[in-house]
Formats: sequence, C-alpha cells, structure tokens
Amino acid sequence: MAEPSPRLLEAVARDLRPVRPLVAPWRRALVLLPLGFLLLVGVPWFWGIRKNISELGMWLAWGLSALQALAGLAVVGAALREGVPGRKLTPAALAVTLASSAALLGIITWVTAQYAPVVVRPEVRVRWVWECLGIATISGIPALAAVAWLAWRLLPNRPWIAGALAGLGAGLMADAGMRLFCWVSEPEHVALSHGGAILILMVAGAFLSRFAEAWKSWRGR
Amino acid sequence: MSDERDLDGELVAEMVAYQAGDLEAFQCLFRTLAAELGRFFAATVRDVSQRDDLVQETFLALHRVRQTYLPPLPVRPWVFGIARNVERRHRRSWRRRGAHEMPLVDGAEAAETAEASSGSSPSLDRRDLASALRRLPASRREAWVLHHVHGLSFAEIAARLRIGLDAAKLRSSRAMIALRALLGEARRG
Repeated sequence: MAEPSPRLLEAVARDLRPVRPLVAPWRRALVLLPLGFLLLVGVPWFWGIRKNISELGMWLAWGLSALQALAGLAVVGAALREGVPGRKLTPAALAVTLASSAALLGIITWVTAQYAPVVVRPEVRVRWVWECLGIATISGIPALAAVAWLAWRLLPNRPWIAGALAGLGAGLMADAGMRLFCWVSEPEHVALSHGGAILILMVAGAFLSRFAEAWKSWRGR
Repeated sequence: MSDERDLDGELVAEMVAYQAGDLEAFQCLFRTLAAELGRFFAATVRDVSQRDDLVQETFLALHRVRQTYLPPLPVRPWVFGIARNVERRHRRSWRRRGAHEMPLVDGAEAAETAEASSGSSPSLDRRDLASALRRLPASRREAWVLHHVHGLSFAEIAARLRIGLDAAKLRSSRAMIALRALLGEARRG
C-alpha cells in the first residue's frame, strides 16, 4: 500500500485549504490571560471583597492570588501541550505539575491562615463549605469553557489527563479570585470547598475531554 | 544517523508544504510513512486489510488535525501519536461491537522474532505469542514490537515515542520478561 486510497485522496483534496500551524501551547495559554485577570478582579467584585483583606495586605492578598492565577495559566499550557498528538507530558512532568499545584495551594492557604486567621462557628461551618464549593465551581466554569474552546481542535493521546489538567488550570484561576472573596482561612474549609471545587472542575474537564474525543470519533466515521 | 536526520528534515519540509495546501506533499508523506504505520498496527491487528484501513484512517485523522503539527518538531512522533489514537478508537469500537475474535498480532513476523529472541522452541504456538502480547500493557508492547519486530534501535524508539533512552530499554526488557513468563505459563498449561 504505497499510495493513498482514492477515497482518502478525494477527502484530502476536498479540504486542502492552507492551515496555519497552531502556536506553541504556552503562547496559546496566554490567550486566557485577560480571562485570568477578569476572574481575579471579577469574583471579589461580584461577590464582595474579603472582610479581613487589610490583615493580609496588598502582596499577600493580590500578589499571591495573581501568582495562583499565573500557575493556573501554566497548567492550562501543560494541558494544551498534552493535547498535541505525540507530545504528551512525561510522568515526571505530570507529577511535578500536580505536586507543585497542590503545594502552591497549600502554601497560599497556610500563609493566609497565618496572617488572617478566622475561626468559623460550628453552626455555619458545613453551610459555608457548600456555599463556597458552589460559588468556586460556578466561577471556574467560564475558565473551563475557554480552555475547552482552545483545546477543541486538538487530539490528545490521553484525553482524561488533558481534560483533568485543563480543569485544574481553570480551577486554580477561578480560586485565585475566590480567595479574595472568601475570608475563611481555615485549612479544612479551603481544602473541602476550594480544593473540592478544583477537584470537581478536574473531573468535569476529564469527562468533557473524553466526550469531545468520542464525539469527534463518531462524527469522523 | 545522518540519513535519518535528512529523512526527518524531508518529512518536516513535506509536512510544512502539506499544511500550505500541497497535495503532492501529502502523497509523499503517505509513501514515506504508510509502511511504518502498517508495521505499527501489526502489533495489534492481524487482518492485513483492516490494518490498511487503519493506516488510511490515520492519514484522514492526520488531515483533520494537520494544524496541530508544530514545525520544525519531528514529524514521526506526531504521526504515531495520531496512530495511537486511531488504534485506541479501533480497539474501543471493536469491543463495543462485541466481536468474539481478539485482534491478534501478526503471527509471521512477531512469532518468528519471539522464538528467536526468547530461545523457546520453534514449535511455539503463534497464538500463544499473540495472546501474550495482547496481555502486555500497550506501552511495553509497542517498545518490544518496535525493537524486536521492526528492528529499531532503542535510540530510534526513544525518539519515536518521545521517551528517554532508558525508558525505551526498560519497557522493551520488561515486555520481554513478561512475555517469557506468559509463554512459559502457556506451555505448561
């Protein structure tokens, strides 16, 4: 079989318009910079800024959130790279991405708890976890949708992983704004509600990516 | 080595021309890569016509996502990445159809190589080998087949699969250990 079949040639010839190669994944991720900024200022603007922001000061509040948003963008870049055939992340790179994201969240939570400690009354503890979980998840949906739009034309070898990374990036970006609204710095609250929202977005991203792959496969038949 | 680099350079040039809308470049790519892809699919699909279909399908998928190739990166890992997706879809659709026959490894090539390399008796049943290969994780099977069936060096396998040299060696050697164990079981059973 040294020659393409007539059917394949016909399909290719029918749609042979010149295409521009996609730019590098990290540059494509930068397209989301305005969205990251919007989430950073939009979430506290819409829901209200955290009551104890003065205890944190400019750098620990806005600076750390900006750092988290940038980390989210970097993870989105990794997801976009994972989406290019044959360019999947090595297990080490994947482990570093996941571990550094978790470490960053942990460090930011710890620093915030040190400078602006808040003790939550037991009667509202569970309700606040659910409220923050809902708000954080909803805030991450636009970011996840934007990443899905960017990744639509890709063909990941591991759709589950590409999608989960996209969800993680979107979750980190959304949570960067969330921590400027939510004044509760208790690690349990942050882990359950904010971390939970990131986890939900990761699972949603993984399913979305898998679904997109199945749909494209079905459409291409 | 330099021949291979020249060939890689040619592939990149053809891919760039193809992205610019050159049909002749697409045909050149096909001529260069179709046989390699056929051998790649031989690791999991026995039926030659089905294998040819998968090669055609790979090029069709490649055509749909041709903008995802980023020059001047090597073309082969990208093409084989697409082929892995096509293979996965094929396996999934095959499972969904509930076929009773497993997709087998090409007996002639793989069985002869396994007999020679594992030192087992020449009467070793090809079905056993095919069954053993199927039970290996895809990444290990891929490395083993590329090395022992297609004769690629570990450096070439590492470049093609975009993994480290040590990882290529490790995957192939672990596949070999697993194959020996599985074939030993098959012969005892």
